[in-house]
Amino acid sequence: MTPVDIGKSSDFPKGKFRVLAVGGIEIGVVRTSRGFFAVRNICPHEGAPVCRGRLSGTMLPSAPGQLRYGLGGIVLRCPWHGWEFRLDNGQAVFGTARGRVRTYKIELIGGRVQLHLKPALGAVSTPPLPESRR
Amino acid sequence: MQTVDATLEREASLVRDAKEYSIVDCDVHPLATDGLNSVYPYMSRAWRRRFSEKGATVQSPLNVRFSHPTGAIRPDATTPSGRTGGSEPEFMREDLLERFGIAYAILSGLEPARFAVGLAGPDESTSLCSAFNDYFIEEWLSVDKRFRYVICVSPQDPEKAAQEVRRHANTRGVVGVYLPPMNILMGNRHHYPIYKAAQRAGLPIFFHVTGAEIIYQGAPVASGGWPESYAERRMAFYQVGEANLASLVFTGVFERFPELKFVFAESGFTWAVPHSWRMDATWQMFRAETPWVKRPPSEYIRERVGFTTQPLEGPIGDSAGLNKIIEMLGEETLLFATDYPHFDQDNPDWILRGLSAETKAKIFSRNAHRFFRLD
Repeated sequence: MTPVDIGKSSDFPKGKFRVLAVGGIEIGVVRTSRGFFAVRNICPHEGAPVCRGRLSGTMLPSAPGQLRYGLGGIVLRCPWHGWEFRLDNGQAVFGTARGRVRTYKIELIGGRVQLHLKPALGAVSTPPLPESRR
Repeated sequence: MQTVDATLEREASLVRDAKEYSIVDCDVHPLATDGLNSVYPYMSRAWRRRFSEKGATVQSPLNVRFSHPTGAIRPDATTPSGRTGGSEPEFMREDLLERFGIAYAILSGLEPARFAVGLAGPDESTSLCSAFNDYFIEEWLSVDKRFRYVICVSPQDPEKAAQEVRRHANTRGVVGVYLPPMNILMGNRHHYPIYKAAQRAGLPIFFHVTGAEIIYQGAPVASGGWPESYAERRMAFYQVGEANLASLVFTGVFERFPELKFVFAESGFTWAVPHSWRMDATWQMFRAETPWVKRPPSEYIRERVGFTTQPLEGPIGDSAGLNKIIEMLGEETLLFATDYPHFDQDNPDWILRGLSAETKAKIFSRNAHRFFRLD
């Protein structure tokens, strides 16, 4: 399917979702230090506008009494029940839910942001992410 | 594009499905738009001075131990003017009533409720509850005819609380009496003046935790010991509902006040199934100890108690299992609620999908009319 040109790279402020109506559906696009990501603006849990949630990292599974923070900048927390999803693959973190937010492939071509509507598992413009950053 | 179209069609059908019902949202929380400044015009100058000189605020300080890890109010419910979600009636109309097709929204104020159970003294809380009641009735119910309100009363002074019930017995838009849970169980005779007034007014008693539980003196404590985190404390909220329901049954409140109904809001309902089994079994064995309990406890509950659906819980991925629980509890006892604007709001377009149209009509709408005078 032909990708949709959704603007210049500089049209997207870092760390802030822009929600676009594309093909009749809402897709949130965000530029982070790890690249561009695009997700459907619907939480699989109860349909909340997930892109209005906070983008950050989260606490990684750890031993009792210890805290480890990681996945900085690629965890999207739904503004309703606080379910957390990875931006790079849409999956709920650490097996907390079966559902996932739908992600779309983004390509940068000549400074233009190209959105591929067919659901994709990851954003190709980003390098693989480490599970943990201590 | 076929995938996208099919998805859109499916979602549109879900939306149409929920909006077919005249939805009654039985648990909605307004906040005073400008905190106590909004409420001060509804109390005497002396009381206003009392609170302002104390530096009183609607913010109930929570210790780090139990504060919500990420904020209890939905960030996407923030109003266009930047106020906290739930603090502007005009935006609530748009963001709740219009967006989800709500026919009636029953408002309950948690700010006066926390004062009522422990954050203010008996006289202070009585004054604050009255002022909050007048404020919400005057400034919120007038904004949209779909808003209804449960007046909040202070259980610290049950006689004054009964007076407040009588004062609003015929106030347009008032549909119930919010009795915030304190550290005296609801079956205790301490509360009977309130029940007498509510029964006479034809108003149900509305039960809802206030957020003061397990933190403030005067509020309910946790059974077994002191929790360590918000998560643990959230689990303990159900204990408050369980203890109060058993108290109402075995003290004979349902017999003493044969017309009075109770709505347990945001208290869960799945627990009420095994809880009823245990109460029935206990009654079979020990009926003679409380001979005023004349019928199996589960019968009183089915007839006189409503449970709001939010936060909807059940076996994950097993809607048939949830439906079975609803059937066992009695579908006539369930009342739909969103809990707007809180973080764990339920979406009427997404929940209860596996139920029959008849059952959904009861839960989304019809049952609420059995408890609240809405029209």
